[in-house]
Amino acid sequence: MVVLELEESSLLLDEKLLRFMDQLELLEEKRADLNSLIEQGWFSMSKARYSMGNKRVSALQYASEIEPLVCVHARTLDNGEVDFCTERSKQKARDEAGKEARSIEDIGPQEEGVRRRNKPKNNVPEKKEGEEASSEKAPEVTPIRKSDQNLQQDPLKWFGILVPQTLKQAQSSFTQVIELSAEIATLQTAILNSRQELKQCRKDKPILQEVSATRLEKLTD
Amino acid sequence: MSARGKLIAVIGDEDTCTGFLLGGVGELNKNRKPNFLVVEKETSVAEIEETFKSFLARSDIGIVLINQFIAEMIRHAIDGHLESIPAVLEIPSKEHPYDASKDSILRRAKGMFCAEDFR
Repeated sequence: MVVLELEESSLLLDEKLLRFMDQLELLEEKRADLNSLIEQGWFSMSKARYSMGNKRVSALQYASEIEPLVCVHARTLDNGEVDFCTERSKQKARDEAGKEARSIEDIGPQEEGVRRRNKPKNNVPEKKEGEEASSEKAPEVTPIRKSDQNLQQDPLKWFGILVPQTLKQAQSSFTQVIELSAEIATLQTAILNSRQELKQCRKDKPILQEVSATRLEKLTD
Repeated sequence: MSARGKLIAVIGDEDTCTGFLLGGVGELNKNRKPNFLVVEKETSVAEIEETFKSFLARSDIGIVLINQFIAEMIRHAIDGHLESIPAVLEIPSKEHPYDASKDSILRRAKGMFCAEDFR
């Protein structure tokens, strides 16, 4: 009975060790990807700096109000591991959808919508209703909370309105790096967890070995 | 806070911080406290350590990214952090490529196979 237990625990230990090795291998692969992506990002940033000017891509350009566009959700699993997954804010997606319409708003005057300086007199004969509705609808739709827009604006705009393509490439590289870093963080916690489990198994095994040895001795006597 | 998700903090040189902020991780909260630290030549180790510890203490931070050469300066603080949230990730910097043998996590994992563990 004890021999069986010992065998089982040995198998379990082997299994855990193999899993641990696999995780380490995966971590190494992901690390290599992360390193090359970061390098690519820096390279693109340097190219942008070359075309824009040395001081035009630096910490001095950071906005005074910064809102995160990406967040990470940490979920603790049953086995103690933590799963990190990134999420881009929806505002960004909406930003991209209505990019053209908004880009006009951004550089326009502070007041949104069309000002009606000459109010139509009440005694003016009733206009065609369709026309009236369409002319009034336009300014109603445009008022967007300017403050919200500014808070969640694309960080690319900190560096100018017309930024070089290379800066956009740098941004996309770093966006991928952020996603990858969440995966690596998950893997790191998994590795530490596996390590802890392995350690525990190793501690238990000699006890089982001793017990089985004494039982065998008794049986042989 | 959990519904909103946690932040990714960055401690790094100018290019690293700029890159990650371009990616959209930056935040200046209501107290105008940033979730990043641009480490320059003049930045003292004490300041780095203090910022690192403040990031660890913040409940709204899920991952702390730190350049490995900066992590080397405050290695004791990084080794002392054993919780899984926030996770600490060492990343390369422009002048200092990533060295796995210096990484806290990998060194801990490597420790699995040292003689002490077999005792």
